Amino acid sequence: MIKITNLEKIYRTDLVETVALNKMSFDVRKGEFVAIMGPSGCGKSTLLNILGLLDDCNGGSFLFDGIEVAKFNEQKRADLRKKNIGFVFQSFNLIDELTTYENVELPLIYNNVKAADRKVLVEEALDKMQIMHRRNHYPQQLSGGQQQRVAVARAVVNNPKLILADEPTGNLDSHNGNEVMDMLTTLNGQGTTIIMVTHSEHDAQYAHRIIRMLDGEKVTENILRELDYVHN
Amino acid sequence: MWKHYLKTAWRSLKVNRFYSALNIAGLAIGLATGIMLLLWVQNEFSYDKFNKQYRNIYQLSAHFTSNGKEIVWGNVPGPLSVIAKNIPGIQSMVRIAYAGDVLATQDETKTFDNNAIVYADSSLLTIFDFELIKGNKKNFLPNPYSVALSQTIAKKIFGTDDVIGKIVRFDKDNFTITSVFKSIPKNSSIAMNVILPMAYRGKKFTENGGNGNWKTIDEDMGDYSFYDYVLLYPNANPKVVSKQLSDAYFNARKGEGNNVQKTDFKFENLADVHLIGNDGDISGLRMVEIMMLVSILILIIASINYVNLSTARSLMRLKEVSVKKIIGASKWQLFFQFILETFVLFAIASVISIGLIFVLMPLYNNISGKELSFSLLDIHTLGMLFIVVLGALLSSSIYPALLLSSFQPLAIMRGTKIAGFKTATFRKVLVVLQFAISFALLVSTIIMSNQMRYMRNKDLGYNKSYVFSVSFPDEASQHFDAIKTELQKTHSILSTGTSDAYDISNVGSSTSDINWQGKSANDNLIIAQVTMDKDFISTMKYRFIEGGNFSGTPADSNKFVLNETAVKAMDLKPPYVGQQISFHADTGNIIGVLKDFNFRPLTEAISPIIFFTAWGRGNMLYVRTTGAEAQNAIAAVEKEYKKYNTSKTPFSYNFLDKSFEAHYQSQQRTSALFTTFAAIAIFISCLGLFGLATYTAQVKTKEIGIRKVLGASVGNIVQLISKDFLKLVIIAVVIATPLAYWAMHKWLQGFAYKTSIGIFTFIIAAVIVMLIAFATIGFKAFKAARANPVKSLKTE
Repeated sequence: MIKITNLEKIYRTDLVETVALNKMSFDVRKGEFVAIMGPSGCGKSTLLNILGLLDDCNGGSFLFDGIEVAKFNEQKRADLRKKNIGFVFQSFNLIDELTTYENVELPLIYNNVKAADRKVLVEEALDKMQIMHRRNHYPQQLSGGQQQRVAVARAVVNNPKLILADEPTGNLDSHNGNEVMDMLTTLNGQGTTIIMVTHSEHDAQYAHRIIRMLDGEKVTENILRELDYVHN
Repeated sequence: MWKHYLKTAWRSLKVNRFYSALNIAGLAIGLATGIMLLLWVQNEFSYDKFNKQYRNIYQLSAHFTSNGKEIVWGNVPGPLSVIAKNIPGIQSMVRIAYAGDVLATQDETKTFDNNAIVYADSSLLTIFDFELIKGNKKNFLPNPYSVALSQTIAKKIFGTDDVIGKIVRFDKDNFTITSVFKSIPKNSSIAMNVILPMAYRGKKFTENGGNGNWKTIDEDMGDYSFYDYVLLYPNANPKVVSKQLSDAYFNARKGEGNNVQKTDFKFENLADVHLIGNDGDISGLRMVEIMMLVSILILIIASINYVNLSTARSLMRLKEVSVKKIIGASKWQLFFQFILETFVLFAIASVISIGLIFVLMPLYNNISGKELSFSLLDIHTLGMLFIVVLGALLSSSIYPALLLSSFQPLAIMRGTKIAGFKTATFRKVLVVLQFAISFALLVSTIIMSNQMRYMRNKDLGYNKSYVFSVSFPDEASQHFDAIKTELQKTHSILSTGTSDAYDISNVGSSTSDINWQGKSANDNLIIAQVTMDKDFISTMKYRFIEGGNFSGTPADSNKFVLNETAVKAMDLKPPYVGQQISFHADTGNIIGVLKDFNFRPLTEAISPIIFFTAWGRGNMLYVRTTGAEAQNAIAAVEKEYKKYNTSKTPFSYNFLDKSFEAHYQSQQRTSALFTTFAAIAIFISCLGLFGLATYTAQVKTKEIGIRKVLGASVGNIVQLISKDFLKLVIIAVVIATPLAYWAMHKWLQGFAYKTSIGIFTFIIAAVIVMLIAFATIGFKAFKAARANPVKSLKTE
């Protein structure tokens, strides 16, 4: 589903040139759950931003579903992103002025989904994340675990092909963290491809494969378990 | 989608109550002020346009040259309308002449003064759309003793407007009411509430023997007392018609000899009459344009507040924009969300501003001297409201919406402050603009009130304090000797003098009928003329520079007193006393020359004036009293007035300094309006500054904490926050100073006598603006500086 080859990202200021990604190459198959690990500043987040079509790269190739997207402009990237990718953040990033229901509904609004269809999809997602009873609460009225469940519901409501998770349990205690990891695993079991950046060895064990990075380069790749079923 | 946008907008307003309130307050005040000013402007531009044919109606004025200078008279001679009948482009013409102000009931038991009673030709209603309520439009004044009353005056006299056939009395004659017209709109440059037939005036003129060989008003070429209006055919060229009329008039006067000077009768379109003087003076129009500019500037200031507060606070919305973009919002979707947010805020501000306008309208009318009304049912008002709100909405919403919707979604991933820095400069520019406008308005206000004070205190060349004048009816003025003798016995009266000048601070009568030895053939000197008695000059405290006063004997009839400007304009050489001049029918000598004094408003330079006695001593009594005794003096004069008055004309008096002030009413109103709007502009600017200072204190919470921990005093912190803002205010002052100087220099050019623009004015204005700005920022800065540093460090 994703194939990157010799991907490069360099940050330049007047005085310093920092190589964030140095000829990085790997691929992710459809339905796979990949964990990316490495120390702070190794380029994990930069990689995730490029994979999420939030940032561009300075060189190399990035195939998304067989399409070269490395040279896409902002508009094309945004279109591709909103139809195919869901995001889960460490700090949840819910919109404070919107209720649980409205936060989850937002991607559907931006995708011009009809009101009647939105209702069905939002309720389905809230149900799946077991947060239906909090549908009218505002983010600040929810616990951290609940907020992250809302964030996951929001990420999946659009039924994206790919979920990018940036340390999704970073702000949670172990109990809530495990719950979120279970949800991601369930989603993955239902066919959604997941790429997750994490510092937690424990969380990484949920993945099929761990890619370890250092100084902008891939250093190792461990396969934990085989993909049960390859989606076409 | 829209529902979502509205919901978000409403919640965002609610969450940021403080900033929303600041924005709404600034916008509501700005919109209300802008709209009220524009109502004034709209009213000024609407004058006379209720007349459907206004595009083809022109007012006439007489133009001729005197001493190389163009002299313009707003009134023209009577025969012009007879001559006009032969000019093909003229469809209709009307003469209007002032008749008086006192009307009485038939039995003269009740009199009504302060009316605008005019004589008019019966063609009046074929040109102007004054609405008749009762009577026949084609023949509304069927005979010389018919009269048309306005509905208001009819009700005032009879308690009803059903008055056809009833009788009123004017100038010892009875008039039968044949028409009642709806009171003339306020925005008419022609004011009248009683219309008498011009035929009556003509009849009286002929009965009284006419003027020399001229036996009817249609012949009297010398009487320039008519306001004439012509209605041209739509295809007629006013310039061509005006020339034809002037030529025809010149030809008609040829019989009088070769000395007749050519007079140009120029046409001014009715739509321009209110704002442009017939001498081309556009100061009225300029003032309306300035007010329009001020209203736009105030709207700009209010819009800037919104732009500044929303862009300054854009950092706070970084997360929201990033998240929304990441989950699929396009730039345009976000753009419309922010536009809608501004729209909601504007809707609230508009509703409040409409409320404010309704509440403030009476006060505003009081200041502006108008009777403006604000009605949401009026299509023009609605249109203006729409344009103003839309204009302000667009100018305040687009930039912040573009800025906010352009944030890159990555911002949130990096958690950096990538936005905000670029907009800081833009905000600074806007703050400078706001304060430059406010400062310029403040400087203008100070200079205008300086000028008003200057005029009030200027040495006019005589003492105008505690002098009042009373107009005596003709029959009473025959007894002036007895009246004056009686009044001199009253200790409250210092002296009395009589004159024919109704208002000696604005002498209206002038002539060119003066000759002296050495007068060149093309010299057409126009000289103001005043007849008076021998006590007038001493009562007014005019000062002689040469010679002396009249003696009060019949020998005075060929003696003349002139002012300095007159003898200079006549190119006489001193000593002036004894030199011979001819004035009207009399030839005689100069007996005295007065030091120059102002006998016209200070917008005009002193011109030549002559005092003489040949035409009697007038019917105006001027009385000098003292501050403490004024009431007694008035009572004493009133007693004498009633003793000799048989005409039932009510007693009234005018203090000279009051009539002097009245000449500057429009300037004083302008000054008052400016003061109000300068205050509002500064207030709105400060609201914005307050918001920005609050925001700065918020984002600098951590910095302030760290500095305090390192030992900074409260003073240091206040300085830290205030310094940058005050710098902007100083830049604004520097930029606005030359602009304000230039504008006020121009304004002062409208006055012949003017105050100087000193550097001190600018310093005072700068200090005021700085102090207000500092008080605004200082309050927030002080609060931030006093906060507990431990607490502020925790907030990051």
